[in-house]
Amino acid sequence: MSRRALSDRAFRLAGYIALGLCLCVLGALLFAIAYAGLKAVSFDFLVMPSKDFGAAGGIRWQIIGSLLMAVTASALVLPFATALAVYRADMARSARVKRFIDLSVFSLNGIPSIAYGLFGLIVFVNILGTGLSWFVGSIILAMMMMPTVTHCALSAMQSLPSGVRENGYALGLTRRAVITRITLPQSLHGIVTGLMIGLARAIGETAPIMFIATAFSGVSLPSGLQGPVSTLPTHILALAQQATNPDALRNAWGASFVLIGLVFLFSTAAFIARTRLNPYSERL
Amino acid sequence: MSFADAAAVMPPRPRARRDSFTLWITGSAWLSASLAGLILLTLAVQSAPAIRQAGGTMLSVQWLPSAGQYGIIPMVFGSLVVMAIAMTIALPVGVMAAVQLSQIKSLKTRRFVKALLEGLAGIPSIVYGLIGVSFLSVFVADIFDLQTGRVIFTAGLLLSVMILPTILTLSEDAISAVPNALTQNAAALGLYRFEIFRSAVLPSAAPHILGAGLLALGRALGETMAVMLIIGSLDRLPSPLWNVLSSGQTITSKLGREVGESAFGSVHFSALIFSALILVIITLSLTIAAQILFARRAKTIGLLHV
Repeated sequence: MSRRALSDRAFRLAGYIALGLCLCVLGALLFAIAYAGLKAVSFDFLVMPSKDFGAAGGIRWQIIGSLLMAVTASALVLPFATALAVYRADMARSARVKRFIDLSVFSLNGIPSIAYGLFGLIVFVNILGTGLSWFVGSIILAMMMMPTVTHCALSAMQSLPSGVRENGYALGLTRRAVITRITLPQSLHGIVTGLMIGLARAIGETAPIMFIATAFSGVSLPSGLQGPVSTLPTHILALAQQATNPDALRNAWGASFVLIGLVFLFSTAAFIARTRLNPYSERL
Repeated sequence: MSFADAAAVMPPRPRARRDSFTLWITGSAWLSASLAGLILLTLAVQSAPAIRQAGGTMLSVQWLPSAGQYGIIPMVFGSLVVMAIAMTIALPVGVMAAVQLSQIKSLKTRRFVKALLEGLAGIPSIVYGLIGVSFLSVFVADIFDLQTGRVIFTAGLLLSVMILPTILTLSEDAISAVPNALTQNAAALGLYRFEIFRSAVLPSAAPHILGAGLLALGRALGETMAVMLIIGSLDRLPSPLWNVLSSGQTITSKLGREVGESAFGSVHFSALIFSALILVIITLSLTIAAQILFARRAKTIGLLHV
């Protein structure tokens, strides 16, 4: 065989090995999570409060706390991310402003999650004196979701056929009417998709909220905007740190399984929003 | 009037009235757009006390808050080494898997496999940490016969899995975006698949693949939870320096472990924030460099337009 043919063979082989390796890793991870998780999960585990520092009982308040923070965060991010996308798509005229907005969105996406946590700790918990507060955690999660939601909303707005908006102007609509009657309804799928992807990511975040919004044990529902909640990721963190206790570890896997189930739920919702809500979808 | 002139005039400009709706949109937009700067500014202001009081001593290798020593070099070193290990594993595997993926003829199958592999990115980092604690660190300890598997190498290995989807997806996008005419011409010349990749695909896709690599580097540097649980948290340079089978510390794991223990306003806290500032500046530079590369690629393709 010639040298050329040999190197081609090696190249093909490397491709198969690499792709096979990726699929094997994925399979092994999913198997490990399902195997270790299903041993802990039961109906009682889902609805019971935790006992003995997480080693016994269930994860009722952790599930509720996680959902509460993530849903509040998406409600907070929705108006701001939509406004930013509308401004970038319909109102910003100068190329410099557009470039600044793009840069800022990408930067926000590139900032490590722990830096968000530090920002919340400095500005809200200490300077503004809120103390541990689940609502502050939601604000920080909303900041982290911002680039995702903005990006998805903006791509939907920009992929609108240009005639749609121009028709509106030609009919004499004001800019406000064009935005509320045309741009927003026609890009709804992008906004919802972005929100769902953002939710799927936000609910699994630990680093941004562990200093500012959560407590490990003895927490149920907060009575107001202040006060900590307990969440699935921080619960897993606390349990993983007592890894010598087999009961704690088993419940950590159970909580991980539930957490991944929630992530999967929101990701599926994002997929449905992208394909079913989109009037111009290719309908895969 | 030429077509270009018409495009410059459209869409028509309604009178820019300062009504409340416009103000609301503009205000929210500018608030959102300024968040990144706000975070940087906050970190910079809070690290000022440490720069003033500890100054140059922060560039030493000793971290002893009780003795007033805040050397961040071991953490920076740990971050870079972990990042390098993760990249060395994930870049070749990810790019080769992307090449193989782009060979799948059926669009449906290709999208399905790709979506499946993107699932790796959906696993929260704390769950990766749990996998590292319960399985990976145990395996590493067994294989290398170590007392503890919570070492720099384990962290790098775990991170390589975590950044794999970033590299794989973006590289596949880049390879699929190469104009068909280029690859078909190369194939018509009788080149092998390897030669087609090297001479037709790679020159066109390289900037985008490089950008994917930079984004993945940023991810690797900023990852906190998984690394924090399995790196062993030891504020020392490994000895000898290349001994990746010893415990270490990264900037993020240090922050995760110690911010809760330091008092707000103290030099200790400020020194931690300073290391976070360095981290953010590096990851931001990587992200922006990646975006510049992505933008450049689009232009090249536009020029080719075959």
